[in-house]
Amino acid sequence: MGLVARQIETLGIPTVTLSVVQSMTEATPAPRNVLVRFRLGQLFGEPGAVGQQQAVLRAMLKAVDGATHPGAVIQLPYRWKRESYPAPVGLAARAQDPPMS
Amino acid sequence: MPRWWNQFQSLFYSRFRWLPERAASRVRRPTDIPMPPLASLRRPLSEARVGVITAAGIHFAHDRPFDMANKEGDASFRIVPGDVHVEDIRITHDYYDHSAADRDVNCVFPVERMRELVVAGEIGEVAPRHVGMMGHLLGSQAERLVGATAREMAEIFLADQVDLVLATPG
Repeated sequence: MGLVARQIETLGIPTVTLSVVQSMTEATPAPRNVLVRFRLGQLFGEPGAVGQQQAVLRAMLKAVDGATHPGAVIQLPYRWKRESYPAPVGLAARAQDPPMS
Repeated sequence: MPRWWNQFQSLFYSRFRWLPERAASRVRRPTDIPMPPLASLRRPLSEARVGVITAAGIHFAHDRPFDMANKEGDASFRIVPGDVHVEDIRITHDYYDHSAADRDVNCVFPVERMRELVVAGEIGEVAPRHVGMMGHLLGSQAERLVGATAREMAEIFLADQVDLVLATPG
């Protein structure tokens, strides 16, 4: 993943790469790395946990400015379920769906 | 190696974080794409077009699945449209436990979460095309990634004038 991110960044597009495996990130760092101590397969959080998933996504967005040098690693403090995540935003999109009959 | 064995192992790799840590520290990885200087965002996040590239093995339901028979992996990629219905996404990847992502693909590919951040005004828009690939590339497939497909994937985002790409593993 780190190599592909480098390739994209080489073309002038900023990238932020999420990782759960620290040794992999250290072996092949991407231009900007966000490390979260979650499981493989649930990088953004639990199924259906909208607030948790948004929090990780938002942390990635913040890393665009947060990373100071190529290969920088930003560690997220999240502890899976033992954490109070901000309330989900933007659910208006879903409210417009037709009601279930 | 039979597929069931890889799938069985992946359950442990996803559950115990020290296992992939140990495995990754032993693999010698190609580093043929040099680290570039950091590119800067062309417009504020609230106006930015954001795309995703994921190595989680996602693809459109009727697209060709990734090749699980080659033990070196599959360095090809699949295009996933930005307005995809999440029910139309499938995951073909035997090297991590994707049972959670099968129920909610946002666990690895946060396309619905991005749409919500668009509604909330935190990002400008979702890119018209995302890219699905798979990790776990070794030998000739790792060379194929470095020599060809990484560039092809990057050029998709360039063609779509994407301002920021989020990259996620499986």
